[in-house]
Amino acid sequence: MFQMDFLDDIRRMNCRQIFYQFLNFAMIVSSALMIWKGLMVVTGSESPIVVVLSGSMEPAFHRGDLLFLTNYEQEPIRAGEIVVFKVEGRDIPIVHRVMKVHEKEDGAVKFLTKGDNNNVDDRGLYANGQAWLNRKDVVGRARGYVPFIGIVTIIMNDYPKFKYAVLAGLGVFVLIHRE
Amino acid sequence: MSVSSAMEENPPKVNKWDGNALKNALDDAVKDVLLSHFSYIESHKLLDGRLMISSVAVGFSIFALVWDWLYPFPQSSRSVMLVCVVVYFVMMGVLTWYTTYLECGIFCTALNKDVAGIDPDQIWNASSSLKRFDNKYHLCLSQRTGGSGRPKEARTVLTVENYFDETGKLLYASVAKEVLRLYSDLDSKKN
Repeated sequence: MFQMDFLDDIRRMNCRQIFYQFLNFAMIVSSALMIWKGLMVVTGSESPIVVVLSGSMEPAFHRGDLLFLTNYEQEPIRAGEIVVFKVEGRDIPIVHRVMKVHEKEDGAVKFLTKGDNNNVDDRGLYANGQAWLNRKDVVGRARGYVPFIGIVTIIMNDYPKFKYAVLAGLGVFVLIHRE
Repeated sequence: MSVSSAMEENPPKVNKWDGNALKNALDDAVKDVLLSHFSYIESHKLLDGRLMISSVAVGFSIFALVWDWLYPFPQSSRSVMLVCVVVYFVMMGVLTWYTTYLECGIFCTALNKDVAGIDPDQIWNASSSLKRFDNKYHLCLSQRTGGSGRPKEARTVLTVENYFDETGKLLYASVAKEVLRLYSDLDSKKN
């Protein structure tokens, strides 16, 4: 009896109102998207918020920490900074610390990274034959972090069915709920 | 005198504890009375305005999505993204202003078109509000002669529990009585 009541609400809506329900849903998704794009523009990074996936930076960062990145061109990369970079051919970004920096007068840099909790530097992780990273490999520099919250993202990625169920449930709820 | 409408024959049943559902049911009933008892035509201008603003905003967001996919950040897409984001949030602001000031609770606009087509239409607006966790449904009916006339208003407050039975079914006849009473109040009021 309770299931039919809220479906009744839908039946009483005319097509303009139904269109508005879809628009409402689209606006919620768009707001999230626009906030993300806005962050991309403001920080200059293609992925302004990342989740730490491994324990290679302990005790500074643990698995599940959320990192806030900026990627301003004018700021030079210095040894000791924590950077998030992508290796060519792999799409998962890595969070490690910069160990060595070589800088030319024209501003070109090459640098070497290593995870705090690793025994060796990252040369084993780089692409075949690559011994140094370039500026263009950098996704951003870590500026701040929030501990633990990223565990939700890790769980959603490990159990994609759970993610789709939650998203579908939210979507249906927004579409059916009137005003 | 009046044709019996589908809602009158089969009034909706709602969850009586859900304030939002109650307000929507009452709004629908008031609209149904206005449109079926008199031969008025519903005007969708207000809702269309809202749809237009929302569609433009969503359009910009879709454009940003597609552009970013075609020309990945950061090369050249930065200014496009910036424009899209700013325009989107400006549109959200416009939408909020529109809903708060222009619409202010109006859920139905009915036009009493002049048969001869000479006089401007009489515009009837019905607006309502029901506060969260409150049981007082405020209904306001206003009449304006199209173009310049100042609106005449009649308001009433309905105690929600009198218009639904224990199962949550809407008591259409009681609602219709209230609406018609408001209507004749307004009609008889001289400017």
